[in-house]
Amino acid sequence: MRSAAGVVVLLAWCSGTAAAQTQAAPPPMNMADHRGGIRGAVRNEAGAPVANATVTAVNAENGAQFTAATDAQGAYAFGALPMGRYDVAIVSAGLTAFRRTGIAVEADRTATLDITMNAAAAAAASEFERQQLLERIATLEQRITDLESSAVLSEPETRVRRVEVFVDASGNEHDAPVPGAKPAVTYQRERVYRRQTINEKIEEALEEAEERSVSVGVDAAMGTQFAGRTRGTLDANKRAYALASADLFFTAGLAQYTVFFADIVGLSGSPPDAEIPSLTLLNGYTARLIRQNELNLREAWLRTELFGQRLALTAGRLDLTNYFDQNAVANDESTQFLSDALVNNQMLGLASNGTGVAAEFDPKNGFRFKFGFQQSNTDATNLSDSMYTLSEVGYTFTPFTLPEGTYRVWFRTDNTSADITKGAGVSFDQKLTAAVGLFARYGTQEVDLGRDHFYSLGVGFQNGLIFNPQDTWGIGYAQMEMASGESEKLAEGYYNFNLTERLRLSFHLTHVLDSPDADTRFGYLLPGVRFQASF
Amino acid sequence: MFTSRRTFLIGGALTVAALAAVAASLQAQDVKITDPRSVVMIVNRDSNDISFMDIKSKKMVGKTFLGNNVNPHMVMMSPDGRYVVTGGTRANKAFIIDTRTLQLVKVIPTDIAPEHLAFSPDSRWYYQGNPDGDSISVIDMQSLTKIKTIPGFVEPLNVTFLPDGSKAYVGNYGAHWVGVIDVRRHELLKKIQVAPVPGVAKLDPGKYLGEIKGINIAAPSNDGRYLYAADSDLAVVGVIDTREDKVIKTIRVGRDPWRIYMSHDGNYGITANNGDETISIIDTRTNSVAATLEAGPDMTGINFAGGKAFVISSTSGFVYVYDMQSLKPAGRIKIGTNVQLETATTDTADEKIYLAESTNHEVVIIDAKTHAIERVRNVGLFPWGTHIMDSKDNYCH
Repeated sequence: MRSAAGVVVLLAWCSGTAAAQTQAAPPPMNMADHRGGIRGAVRNEAGAPVANATVTAVNAENGAQFTAATDAQGAYAFGALPMGRYDVAIVSAGLTAFRRTGIAVEADRTATLDITMNAAAAAAASEFERQQLLERIATLEQRITDLESSAVLSEPETRVRRVEVFVDASGNEHDAPVPGAKPAVTYQRERVYRRQTINEKIEEALEEAEERSVSVGVDAAMGTQFAGRTRGTLDANKRAYALASADLFFTAGLAQYTVFFADIVGLSGSPPDAEIPSLTLLNGYTARLIRQNELNLREAWLRTELFGQRLALTAGRLDLTNYFDQNAVANDESTQFLSDALVNNQMLGLASNGTGVAAEFDPKNGFRFKFGFQQSNTDATNLSDSMYTLSEVGYTFTPFTLPEGTYRVWFRTDNTSADITKGAGVSFDQKLTAAVGLFARYGTQEVDLGRDHFYSLGVGFQNGLIFNPQDTWGIGYAQMEMASGESEKLAEGYYNFNLTERLRLSFHLTHVLDSPDADTRFGYLLPGVRFQASF
Repeated sequence: MFTSRRTFLIGGALTVAALAAVAASLQAQDVKITDPRSVVMIVNRDSNDISFMDIKSKKMVGKTFLGNNVNPHMVMMSPDGRYVVTGGTRANKAFIIDTRTLQLVKVIPTDIAPEHLAFSPDSRWYYQGNPDGDSISVIDMQSLTKIKTIPGFVEPLNVTFLPDGSKAYVGNYGAHWVGVIDVRRHELLKKIQVAPVPGVAKLDPGKYLGEIKGINIAAPSNDGRYLYAADSDLAVVGVIDTREDKVIKTIRVGRDPWRIYMSHDGNYGITANNGDETISIIDTRTNSVAATLEAGPDMTGINFAGGKAFVISSTSGFVYVYDMQSLKPAGRIKIGTNVQLETATTDTADEKIYLAESTNHEVVIIDAKTHAIERVRNVGLFPWGTHIMDSKDNYCH
């Protein structure tokens, strides 16, 4: 026989708060005459009566709780319950031993519920409670979800919109065309109701502030090179060189499709070009070196885009060659080859920056047309006497089954000297695969003694045969033959580690062989390291 | 015999009466769409409704209001055309609309911030991604009830079902893996890592420990055998063999690819690389990059029509066009100045593109052949995306 002391009362789960109450809730006065009852016997699994067990009946509608104890024969009775449906339960040792829901109590009638406290009844009761617990957890989860979703800003958001309206002769504004009204453009506020999280709101505000501010960028690099003489008798041998450069960029949006840009540069150090009289610069940064340890305004221009942004005009102090012969594999001394011969066409023939204009027409069909002019001699007192012009046509396409390649041809004139000198060249970059790209350049220019010739070619690698995903490397060769008899042959290989999005470290090995005249030659091997940061 | 005949007659009469009652009921509810393929659905974020525009007449045939501050994100029609569904990002609920009557028939609580969604090919299951809840809500379209929430994802954006409906693949934008769901049990089976994070990542905490930009979608090949998943941070596309659920090749593309879009003939996939404002065209026959071409800033979608690819540059106001035969630029379409372009869908004839332009609350119809544009104004506030049943370019951003 189950111990009567171990049998305790449980009230139905759904009456959670009422469970703490031990007193039966008083029935409404007007229900006093409409009562019924529940009675029955409680037996254990063997069929023996269970004495002193407390049976609980909970009104399913209002949570009112009633209790009754079993007698020695296991009988219990609720004599006067208000009408309604009741959940009847018995708890033993903290576990629900029995539960039956929905027992109907009708007026002046007594329902019979005999209870057998066996394993099946306990399992059923347990399952019932489990389900109710799950429902309660789901309800709580939903409430948390609702709370989270409501923890956002929901105040109305306003924005200004450009609208087309129609204004009649009386000055009345119409949303749609009306007879006599002329179309006009105006601006008006619009109010929308959208919920945004606080994060979204902050992000939008930051973006807006950034758009209105002047952006500052920095490109800092230090190139260290060692020169070992391989041929000739020049003094420079087994010497180290270093050149540090810092560019400070300022960019600001001034109007629709119009930006201002300025580049202030400062350099310090000794490049190999100070001691090795090669035809081309062994360190491409040397071209920027005007005065040691001084800041110089390198570029300052306005750029605007017209005709559906197909035509871009840039005017101010600029380096015109920056906008021409933009070979994708060999164009940048800060991320690709260090030698100037492999990032520029030496026949472009512009040594200094100056006032000028560059126009670029891009119909977005693969062709690109460029024209520009610039003051080529900063000592000239007027532009007419130092006019440098440059024109280029480029075409991007995917020849045969190869990836994209860009092919360009250019032509330039310069009237700085007494006779107008002319130059022309071609350039292409062609991907062979997604990882391998070829480049080549050729240029020639008129000089008094005849024609100078320059060509370079090489291969660049990215997206393959590399240590890190964004690394690049390349090998190039350049040769220059001057009408005066001077010549130069230069080869360079580099590997550029892209350490982070803002930091690069590259290793270079360059060999240059120059012939200043038919009898003299000198050669140098230049291993080098470039450390570059841009942000 | 007499009894059975009478039973038959009575039964027949009752059936006719029932059908008549149903027909009358539908008539009473005002059937607005008889052919689900005849409309463009437009999801309007700020007016909290779905607009339905007739493709032929370009007139609005109806609008279903979802509730205040719902901010619906993506709209989609079930493959059987019976229902139109959307996830209300700020309401944390899925909304189910009857296609014929445009009545909102059910609102179902989901997890937090429901955005992108997908249907199983048999229209039985509606998977609603909850990027802020890191879960997928599974909605049974027979009972119109949520039967399960599948946890364990990391900012799940897009869901892709296999053609046979056996598995679904989930792009996790907050991670570098694609989740595989067993559709029979609605359980996350597997996590497929698209590519390892490079060793130099530890040198760049600003990028790798800041905000993750992982996988938007695993886009399927036409036969469903392969999936192409672009990872933004890693700048790669992983090719997944769906038989073995493993990556068989990793293709490096441009910087910060937003996602990949598959051409209708299945020969190419294009990634929109917002990091360097290029597109990478992947030849799916060789699984290699066939071309990398200049594009515009803030690309939000790519549509295919008339043998061309149309790349939506959200903030520039331009749609960039590329010839898919020669793989070279084919012009640029100006939609407007100071406008915000959202996403677009293509009609089933591959002739017209329906582009949502949110600044002026309009849909811009682009003729794929002539590049001419036509504007349908006042479609609702802040149109965010469009959808046409059976279109091959149904996506969101």
